[in-house]
Amino acid sequence: MNEDRLRPLLEQAFPDAAELSVEDRTGGGDHFQVTVASTRFEGLPLIEQHRLVNEALAAPLADGTIHELRIKTKGTS
Amino acid sequence: MNELRDQIQNVIATEDVAFFMKGTPYLVMCGNSMRALEALRAAGAPVTAVDVLPDPRIRQELSAISGWPTIPQVFVRGELIGGADIVEELAASGELERTLEEKLGPDYRATGAERVVAVASPV
Repeated sequence: MNEDRLRPLLEQAFPDAAELSVEDRTGGGDHFQVTVASTRFEGLPLIEQHRLVNEALAAPLADGTIHELRIKTKGTS
Repeated sequence: MNELRDQIQNVIATEDVAFFMKGTPYLVMCGNSMRALEALRAAGAPVTAVDVLPDPRIRQELSAISGWPTIPQVFVRGELIGGADIVEELAASGELERTLEEKLGPDYRATGAERVVAVASPV
């Protein structure tokens, strides 16, 4: 299951996450909705918040595991 | 010299709103490109679209330039604004229109309709 491959990468990048979910949007194992709430996002513009998620998932993005990625980021306060 | 990279950089640098997408505004080939296009249209952005599908190297070069791994990508006056999720969120909050006004001036809606440009050089 590819969801199980993405989750540890996000947990490693956002160990403090108050919310962290990986949803397989289509059931096909390559279209994902990722939601993360972390203090790391606070004070950052949206693009930098998404950049942190993209960096955490750089390997599965590069090797084609992720065909489509939707990202929702939030602070924790 | 990398001609394709130069062409992509040129589009980013010279177009008010450069929109790298899968397909064209007339035939959108991906849900995320459609979401971003709809958000840009709702904000009245003068979009210049580039289809990344004709040549896989377009996407490789673009991501190398921008440091952004996914398509679509939206640039306003040379600055990466983000992908579909960001553009959609910014459009919903009104921030996209504010950014366009700030960078392109208050009359940005009158500056032009959607255009399509190609970057892939014929092989």
